[in-house]
Amino acid sequence: MSEEPRTGADILYLPRWRARGNRLGAHRGRDAGGPGTFKDQVPFLREPDARRLDLRATLRDPFEGTYVRRFEARKAVEVWALIDLSASMRFRGTADRMALAGALCASLAASATRIGDGFGLIACDAAIREELFLPPTRSRAGAALAARRLAGAVPAGASAAGLVAAASRIAGRPKLVFLVSDYRWPAALIERVFAGLAFHDVVPVVLADPAEAEALPEWGLVELEDLEGAGTRLVLMRPALRRRWIAAEQERLAHLARLARRHGRAPFRLAERFDPAALSRHLLGA
Amino acid sequence: MLPAELARFGAERPWVLWLLPLALLPLVAAPRRRAAWADLAAVPPDPFSRALAGLLRAAGCLAVTGLVAGIAGPYRAGERVTRTGIGAEVSMLIDRSGSMNETFAGRQPSGAEESKAAASRRILGDFVGSRAHDLFAVTAFSTAPMLVLPMTDRHDAVRAAITAIDRPGLDYTNVGRGLAMALGQFGAASGDASRVLLLVSDGAAVIDPRVQDTLRAAFAKIRPNLYWLFLRTKGSPGIADRPAGEDTPQAAPERHLDLFFKSLRVPYRAFEAEGPEAVAAAIRQIESLERDPIPYVEVRPRRDLAGRAYGFAAFGLVLLVLAKLAEVDLARGRAGQGAARAPERRMAA
Repeated sequence: MSEEPRTGADILYLPRWRARGNRLGAHRGRDAGGPGTFKDQVPFLREPDARRLDLRATLRDPFEGTYVRRFEARKAVEVWALIDLSASMRFRGTADRMALAGALCASLAASATRIGDGFGLIACDAAIREELFLPPTRSRAGAALAARRLAGAVPAGASAAGLVAAASRIAGRPKLVFLVSDYRWPAALIERVFAGLAFHDVVPVVLADPAEAEALPEWGLVELEDLEGAGTRLVLMRPALRRRWIAAEQERLAHLARLARRHGRAPFRLAERFDPAALSRHLLGA
Repeated sequence: MLPAELARFGAERPWVLWLLPLALLPLVAAPRRRAAWADLAAVPPDPFSRALAGLLRAAGCLAVTGLVAGIAGPYRAGERVTRTGIGAEVSMLIDRSGSMNETFAGRQPSGAEESKAAASRRILGDFVGSRAHDLFAVTAFSTAPMLVLPMTDRHDAVRAAITAIDRPGLDYTNVGRGLAMALGQFGAASGDASRVLLLVSDGAAVIDPRVQDTLRAAFAKIRPNLYWLFLRTKGSPGIADRPAGEDTPQAAPERHLDLFFKSLRVPYRAFEAEGPEAVAAAIRQIESLERDPIPYVEVRPRRDLAGRAYGFAAFGLVLLVLAKLAEVDLARGRAGQGAARAPERRMAA
């Protein structure tokens, strides 16, 4: 962990709202001003900026008014990663969930701070884990450090209810929120968390693992032990049960996807290994 | 009844049984690899798997119980069980006088001919095997009575005793003392079992009047059913034949023995057989007459139950081993691929 984790590519993201605020950045802002893309034309008296006179519009006006071009300001946004640290995140199938989450956070921290966006991190189990909390920072080193701390964290909580508190902590201006979890929560909690984050641009990142569904063995005896302390259960795997199992898992993910789309974006499935390019494609809507 | 049944069970090393609570261990823990799982509630419910889990738990308990019980050396103590079957107490009184070694024609047997002793041996032997719960005693007599076999239900021994009756016979026919000994074969307290005294002889003799009184007393006490199988040699006088001359016991001993038996006031039948077929027919008749319930004692030897206990344990262990062999690892198939992918990721970075 002493080595600086270098990610191959940046995560490219487009906020779905026009940012406000007085911090210049890389995203389209709601306000005019600066060297951004063309926004509109206003009378000269409203924006007395002779450098941006729009000659064509001025000549076209039958009332001989004078017009000035306005351009969008480029604004910075805040990128937040909300990490579920309930014990189910300790699951280790073909990949380690926490390693995936850590890689995602490191890449996100680097990508956000590189273009001047703030990066904040909240990790929650039943409550917010304050020792992992990172207030939004533009410091590249600070963000990377927080991501590294997260990768070394041990998920132990019995629930992810702290995410509701995390949602109220980041209330305010719209932010880009990556909600990283395996979403093995009660349906009511999912609803509450999405409702609490409704004001933000939420990107659900679903940590999945082939070992949980597609890579299940056809035959055999498995004793499953619940990571969140719900006991153990012996399961005799056989093709019929495996089919039912995969169907139930797909149904769960489909339900989650419906819910997430209703609150903004489709979920991104993070499994086996973290690929920043795939996340970028997902975020850019490709 | 049940505690009495249980009291018959015992163990060689009872202190080992203190380990029996170990049999509850499989309810607490199972030596199976556990796969950590994120959310058990999302696993589809499967009654079959649940039943299998219960079965394996039970198999574990059974294996431990069986092993502990087997080490303790369990046994069921031997006992004597009195049961009721169909049969009779049969006391056989067999004539061993020299004439029994002759054929029914009164000659020494030659070739395929069968002596009277051999024929009765064969037929009585079949009689002994035919019913399971008969008790037999065998007495032989000639000049003096010989106790061959006391009352027993070991039919092999009875058959062996009967096999021995065609050994060359001795001299005379002293039927009185033979009858006394055969009566003495009946046990004292055999309840309401039917008692049969089967006299097999080919002749008769005079019974001393003093002995007659003793016999009457004994018959009156024991009250057996008396059957006289009279193997009559061709040409010799029958039971009912009156002698030509004076009608004295000395002149016609068969007739007078018959009369004596009739005077005893016990159920009595005489069969006059002049050949092996007639003997067989008479025996069949006796067999069909004596069909009363009889209490008999069944001896159950002490039985070692350790083998059975180990058998149960082995059964449970086989189930457990099969379950262990059937175990699979969830991510095993992908582990190799994951290891192979790691360097590639490093290169990409």
